[in-house]
Amino acid sequence: MPHISLAAERLGSFLGFPINNALVTTWCVMAILIIGSFCATRNMKEVPNAFQSIAEMVVGGLYDFFSTISGKHIQKVFPLLASLFLFIIAANWVGLLPGVGTVGFFRPEETEKFVPLFRGATTDINTTLALAIVAVVAIQYYGFRTVGKHYSSRFINITNPINFFVGILEIASEVSKIVSFAFRLFGNIFAGEVLLAVIAFLMPFIVPLPFLMMELFVGFIQALVFSMLTAVFLSVALMHGSENHA
Amino acid sequence: MEQLGIEPKLLLAQIINFCIIVVVLSKLLYKPILGMLEKRKKEIADNLVLAEKLHTEEEKLKLKRQEVIDAAKQEGLMVIEEAKKQASKEGKDIVAEAHKQSDETIRRAKAESERIYEETQMNIRKESVNVAAAMAKRLLSSILSPGDQRKLITMHIKEIEDFAKKQQN
Repeated sequence: MPHISLAAERLGSFLGFPINNALVTTWCVMAILIIGSFCATRNMKEVPNAFQSIAEMVVGGLYDFFSTISGKHIQKVFPLLASLFLFIIAANWVGLLPGVGTVGFFRPEETEKFVPLFRGATTDINTTLALAIVAVVAIQYYGFRTVGKHYSSRFINITNPINFFVGILEIASEVSKIVSFAFRLFGNIFAGEVLLAVIAFLMPFIVPLPFLMMELFVGFIQALVFSMLTAVFLSVALMHGSENHA
Repeated sequence: MEQLGIEPKLLLAQIINFCIIVVVLSKLLYKPILGMLEKRKKEIADNLVLAEKLHTEEEKLKLKRQEVIDAAKQEGLMVIEEAKKQASKEGKDIVAEAHKQSDETIRRAKAESERIYEETQMNIRKESVNVAAAMAKRLLSSILSPGDQRKLITMHIKEIEDFAKKQQN
């Protein structure tokens, strides 16, 4: 049976700081994104080369897409939204590469337990929770930055009991956003990897291919859903302020 | 929490990792790419405006060229018409002059021929008078006697004197 672990496996520690295989994959994803960005923009020309064209297509497409949701606030929120999308899609797809989850070692102390060297970054709850926290904190940050201190009336409103209760519900809703963001992404990608591992165990050749294609699609959809929901929540937060101002 | 693998240190590390990604990609990817896209968009818009302007200019130039061509055609036609008129007039003048000159030449030739004719007649008369006189002199000297000759001369002198008296009166 393939080895399946809900939590990412610890590889070791550095100065007391734990390092697991998902963190290593996260660094790889970061390296891919940063080196790719550097290569795409190091020698920019009016008539772009192939690499620059792809970068322009992706960034321009994302900008246009998020513009339809965020409207006039797009300049402020675009880096966050685009980074969420690019990071999540890269992490999801890197998790499907050969070697991720299959190349590893057996611990000397527990020979039966296989420890993969790499694990899909988004199959670790720490990563998805970190992304969810960043997204929700950013929503509040942009809300306060755009609307001002008046934005706090969304959560603390003592003008009447109903508004006060609504404020409590808003706080609960923000917390639940973190949970839903984190577990939606983690659940989908982790389930996909488990499915692939099981299928590959049962039928190693040809049969996993359709599932691999499906996981590519799921990886894209999850990145889109995460970033799009963040954009929508951001728009709601910013609109809430402007409505109250009006 | 432990079963899920949530570790505050790892969570913090992932938060920092993502924040690094946001900052680096903003500087390295979004800013230059969006700047380039904006620049290209502006250039395309400018070029479209320029193209529209050039198109309008071209239309104006076409109209102007057509106007110039039409005016030149009109002027050409007028010049041709004028040249035709001038040529026709000059032709008539030349013909008239030629007629005049030929008439003059004919008249002169006639006068000359008449003069020559008169002169010739005069010469012929003179010659014939001389011939007649010579003949008469030879005949009279052989036919008439000296007394007859004297009578004839006296008669002729008398006639001349009468003619002279008539002229004086």
